[in-house]
Amino acid sequence: MARIKKKGQAGAAKNFVTRNQAIRKLQLSLPDFRKLCIWKGIYPREPRSKKKVSKSSTASTTFYYTKDIQYLLHEPLVQKFRDHKVLEKKISRALGRGDVSDAARLEGNASRPDKTGKPTYTLDHVVRERYPTFVDALRDLDDCLSMLFLFANLPSTSMVPAKMIARCERLCLEFQHYLIVSKSLTKSFLSIKGIYYQANIQGEEVLWLVPYKFNQRIVGDVDFRIMGTFVEFYMTLLGFVNFRLYTSIGLKYPPKFDAVKDEDAAELGAFTLEGKTLVGSEEQSKLEDVAHKPDPKVQAAVNKVLKNMTNGAANDDASMANTEEADEDAAGVIDKFEPAAPGGDILPQPSYTGTNPNNLFSNFTIYLSRETPRQPLEFILKSFGCKRVGWDAVLGGGAFTTDELDPSITHQIVDRPPIQASMNEEGDGEDNQTAQKLAANRRVPGRIYIQPQWVWDSVNDGELKEPHVYAPGASLPPHLSPFVRKVQGAYDPTMSLEEQETEREALEAGDDDEEVDADETVEGMDVAEDDEDEDEEEDEADEDEAEEEEEEDEDEDADEALQRQIELEAEMSGKTVNSKAANPKTKAKEDAKKALAKKAREEAEDLDRAKGMLSKKKRKLFEQMQYTNNKKSAEDAKLRSKRRKLEKEKANGKA
Amino acid sequence: MGPSLPSRKRKEVSEVVESDDEFDGAELEGILSQSEDDDDDVEDSQSEGEEPELDEDEDEDEDEDEEDDVRSGDEEGEGINGEPNSKNKPDVDGEADDEPNYRVVKDANGGVRYEYAEIDPVYDSDDSDAQGPVNTIGNIPLSFYDSYPHIGYDINGKKIMRPATGEALDALLDSIELPKGWTGLTDPETGKPLNLSQEELELLKKLQMNEVPSDDYDPYPDMIPYFTSIEEKMPLSAAPEPKRRFVPSKHEAKRIAKLVRAIKEGKILPYRPPEPETEQEDKYYDIWANEEPQERHVMHIPAPKLAPPGYDLSYNPPPEYLPTAEEKDNWEKLDPEEREKEYLPSKFDALRKVPAYGEFVKERFERCLDLYLAPRVRKNRLNIDPSSLLPKLPRPEELRPFPTVCQTIFKGHTSRVRTVAFSPDGEWIASGSDDGTVRIWALNGHQEWSAQLSSADEPEPVNMVRWRPSKDTFILAAAAGEDLFFIAPPIVSDATEQASRDVLDAGFGYATNGSSAAAATTTADGAKKEPPAKWSRPSASLVAKGVLLKFAVRSAIKTINWHRRGDFLCTVSPTGQRSSVIIHTLSKHLSQVPFRKLPGLAQTAQFHPSRPYFFVATQRMIRCYDLQRQELVKVIQPGARWISSMDIHPGGDNLIVGSYDRRLLWHDLDLSNRPYKTMRFHPEAIRAVKFHRGLPLFADASDDGSLQIFHGKVVGDLMENATIVPVKMLRGHKVEKKLGVMDVDWHPKHPWIVSAGADMTCRLWA
Repeated sequence: MARIKKKGQAGAAKNFVTRNQAIRKLQLSLPDFRKLCIWKGIYPREPRSKKKVSKSSTASTTFYYTKDIQYLLHEPLVQKFRDHKVLEKKISRALGRGDVSDAARLEGNASRPDKTGKPTYTLDHVVRERYPTFVDALRDLDDCLSMLFLFANLPSTSMVPAKMIARCERLCLEFQHYLIVSKSLTKSFLSIKGIYYQANIQGEEVLWLVPYKFNQRIVGDVDFRIMGTFVEFYMTLLGFVNFRLYTSIGLKYPPKFDAVKDEDAAELGAFTLEGKTLVGSEEQSKLEDVAHKPDPKVQAAVNKVLKNMTNGAANDDASMANTEEADEDAAGVIDKFEPAAPGGDILPQPSYTGTNPNNLFSNFTIYLSRETPRQPLEFILKSFGCKRVGWDAVLGGGAFTTDELDPSITHQIVDRPPIQASMNEEGDGEDNQTAQKLAANRRVPGRIYIQPQWVWDSVNDGELKEPHVYAPGASLPPHLSPFVRKVQGAYDPTMSLEEQETEREALEAGDDDEEVDADETVEGMDVAEDDEDEDEEEDEADEDEAEEEEEEDEDEDADEALQRQIELEAEMSGKTVNSKAANPKTKAKEDAKKALAKKAREEAEDLDRAKGMLSKKKRKLFEQMQYTNNKKSAEDAKLRSKRRKLEKEKANGKA
Repeated sequence: MGPSLPSRKRKEVSEVVESDDEFDGAELEGILSQSEDDDDDVEDSQSEGEEPELDEDEDEDEDEDEEDDVRSGDEEGEGINGEPNSKNKPDVDGEADDEPNYRVVKDANGGVRYEYAEIDPVYDSDDSDAQGPVNTIGNIPLSFYDSYPHIGYDINGKKIMRPATGEALDALLDSIELPKGWTGLTDPETGKPLNLSQEELELLKKLQMNEVPSDDYDPYPDMIPYFTSIEEKMPLSAAPEPKRRFVPSKHEAKRIAKLVRAIKEGKILPYRPPEPETEQEDKYYDIWANEEPQERHVMHIPAPKLAPPGYDLSYNPPPEYLPTAEEKDNWEKLDPEEREKEYLPSKFDALRKVPAYGEFVKERFERCLDLYLAPRVRKNRLNIDPSSLLPKLPRPEELRPFPTVCQTIFKGHTSRVRTVAFSPDGEWIASGSDDGTVRIWALNGHQEWSAQLSSADEPEPVNMVRWRPSKDTFILAAAAGEDLFFIAPPIVSDATEQASRDVLDAGFGYATNGSSAAAATTTADGAKKEPPAKWSRPSASLVAKGVLLKFAVRSAIKTINWHRRGDFLCTVSPTGQRSSVIIHTLSKHLSQVPFRKLPGLAQTAQFHPSRPYFFVATQRMIRCYDLQRQELVKVIQPGARWISSMDIHPGGDNLIVGSYDRRLLWHDLDLSNRPYKTMRFHPEAIRAVKFHRGLPLFADASDDGSLQIFHGKVVGDLMENATIVPVKMLRGHKVEKKLGVMDVDWHPKHPWIVSAGADMTCRLWA
């Protein structure tokens, strides 16, 4: 017989350790352990059976993999933590003795990342370990960017040193510069939380959230030490990511930083990108121009052809044609695959024909009014090809122009209501603070005035939206999230109601219309009752079909009674009766309704029978799935009903 | 004297000025000399002159004493005690030199007695340091007293009179011939000219020069080694003094040389100013220069990304996403933890009106907490259509026909109906009840025939009625208590009735033999075995009604079942122990007990529809016996706790079992001895199960008052399993005393079913 195995010697009990055990093993304090876990990406695990895992009688809550803790054991940072602890002890001992100079000397050795923002250790190797490839790092960039953008907008406190904030801001701006140059921003969304941006960097979708430029309210018990630990790591990570991204497009990292311009709140403008190919912004624009022009070889060939052609007048046309030809040659890397014979599958192919959505604003000069949020607009406009963004001098430096009357401006983004009163008071809107030279509500002719949402909607749809919809003072169309994936059957606000409502809902909607009509004829006699009926119907939409059937029967009875009463009252008052039953349309509808109810009942019966044949486990699973699906569809139905109501109101309002 | 002075003074306060002169000398003397009132000035001065000498003596004595102390360290205690004596002694000695301070007198016995003089207890009488009268006026100039005859007060409050000033001539003389030690000063305390002696002048001079004032004070006395006064002759260590004590250390020289060199080279700076905080840039490099994709550990779960924002998060969402006032209210009422969404969708008509999101930092923080603190578990989300889980069932239309509605209700029984059976031609229904009657009904609900099998007063419940399965006869077997009656009801054609009577009576020929055998047993009484059943004719009244034959077994019969040919019949009486299952042969009026012993209580028994097999169900198991070979073929284990009933499919390969623990079990006999399907659709016990003889239907009856009809199709192909589809639940019977439907039977041809209820009715469903 095999030896009896002791409990807790093998299996799950060996694979997991509790947090306390881990701390004891690593000989660290809890805050140090926390730091280590955050940096190394170690997270607790949920064992299948907690009882099997914990050796103690009391219930432990947090378990880690033993292997993970062993992995931490070899971390050089652990030694740093221990050294630091020793130093702290020395300082406190010196202070206890009253040996201030000694303590000061030791203090000089101590690194205080929370004060100086500059630790003695580096997290480079941790970054490399956590993200063996660059793509891994990009995949994990969401949280990193959200966090750093938040910290870049925080005020400096004792917990958040100003240096850390400055570094975060710098890293974020550098990252934004990369996005602008590489044109990899794809989507953006104005939400109530902040602005979401999505970029496609080397095939990875990165989504992050940037708060609006306000002083952040710190509610609840937010522990900035934990956040600081994360930020420390993220700063290192984003630094390396930026380096890699910059070098990948031939730029030097870090870019030149102009402290004077930064003082002037130039933000993005405080950096000068430099690299092999481009030095400064002018070169940058040149580079982009070069990208659109044919390469020199082709140009030479074209020139040769041009020489042959004696006709100077045809010069232009020929060159145009030739450049096109050359373009075709250059683009001819990928051939178009046309199906030769029918029957084959059609494969998706990359196309060069479509205009690049990232050059959406390339031909515009856009001026931002002083009430618009400059930073996001500047970033998004620049990353979608706009090279000339000007703004009011109050919004900080680095603008293309601060002169509102600049004739080159094609678009002006305005976010203020048109004031009718100020039209009459001539020149009342003088304001010394700004470079505003126009009276309020004055328009410069030959320029398009739009609200900021125009930029976002255009970007998300990949095409320039009609500006008159977004004109100042106009009520804006809804701003829709570009991140929602269309799911079959889910409610989609972009489609019309008729396309997506169920048969039953459509019938009910029709019914409601009828009822409204009837109400109108009876002049609101039984409006309350009707409403109740409606409510009941809505409430019980999700309940059992059988019950509903009964309910409907009752409804029918009630309807009949109502009808009779209407007739009676009409007789009394001597009016003509607008009989509902006489209406053939109504009748048809009722029939359809009945048929639908019958169908639903039969389906429910079938479902019941089929469910009876399932095993208990499968039945439970089925019911769970049914529950979530029902919940979702109920939400959708609610949205549809709301929209129906709104549409009806609107129609009534128009009528 | 002391106390008297103040009192006098008090009395003579007003006369102070007059009396001062009288007492002048005496008063001063008394104070200065501290001696008897009658002593003279001269004596006083003498004694004063002697005092320093005395003091010197005392000093010497004390020195001696100290020396004594040192020498006799062990006698210290005594020395301390003796000290006051030794102090007193010199005084005594000193005085003894002049005159003894005692008188020698004779005492009463004539012996010598020393009478000491009265000691004057003057304050500070034994203070040798006391210096005459001391002016107590303190630090005020004497000029204040210029207009007074006195110059101050002594310690006792007496006036210190101004010393008489000499004549002018004396003053002149004095000015010519300066007395020795003249200073020209006036002693502030006495008012006399202050003269200083040579010694005093010397002293002052020394003090001025910061020298030790007295000659005899040695500022550097030899140290007296109190404790190590004995000089050791032998050194503690005999080792010679090491060389290093004399030679300068080479090591130190080296170190110093090193330091000197370092200082010369400028490595050691005398003062290093603290380094200014240099802002060194982070060194970034291509950390992924030589990247190699690494396979993540299987158990690694990357942090899930946050869900992208939906439409309702927009600053300007479609209006249908905005919450109504009611929803808003509900949201605000909920605890922040319980809310489904942590935000309320809201609409702003311009971007500039969008406020800061208050929870931003908190949400980020919570995300941080989730990242490092939340255990990650991989959840398999079944992204499948739930309907794909459901089995593909045939349409109910394809399963038709099956009974759906209650066609007829048969009322007439006065107690719960226990059993019901369709006649083989399907035209009649027989039912047996607790009221002891067996009734035969036409299908339209009309009662055609009825008979009370036992006495009306104490009716034996009719537990089972079963028709003989042949169409040419019309015989009903009914079990009431221990008796089993064979009935040929006179409601069919005469020919059939006659045939039935013939069948029933045919056994009487054999019965003679049997009765003889029976007679033999009765005579032997115990020596021979008693037959398991006694066949006989029932009472004449019953015979007149058509009950033609009966037999009695030893315990109450619960179940009867005919063999397909109608010759054999098995009865089961669960309490009958050994003879609980009996097989009767109608043609011979013979009863046989096939089993010597049965494991457990027999519940029901049945013949196989085509083969010579016999199924016996005990409480938990069903055994199948081959009657020809007389052996056990199969043991079927349905897994039920208490089997109530069973039925064998007409094909013979399938079996359904109903149990009191609410289970209906389908057994495929070829497949396994375990159930193929277990159906648990009844909330109460199942009483009866039945297959339809021709159609693929079966039904069960339960105590919850409902019947369930199943479609159970068995195909001849061995590879294909039976399909079982529940098709209908028939409700109508009322539940009385927790009993619902007691028995069911199918019509032989049509999809009709009849059920017997505890509510005294039978129902026909079609």
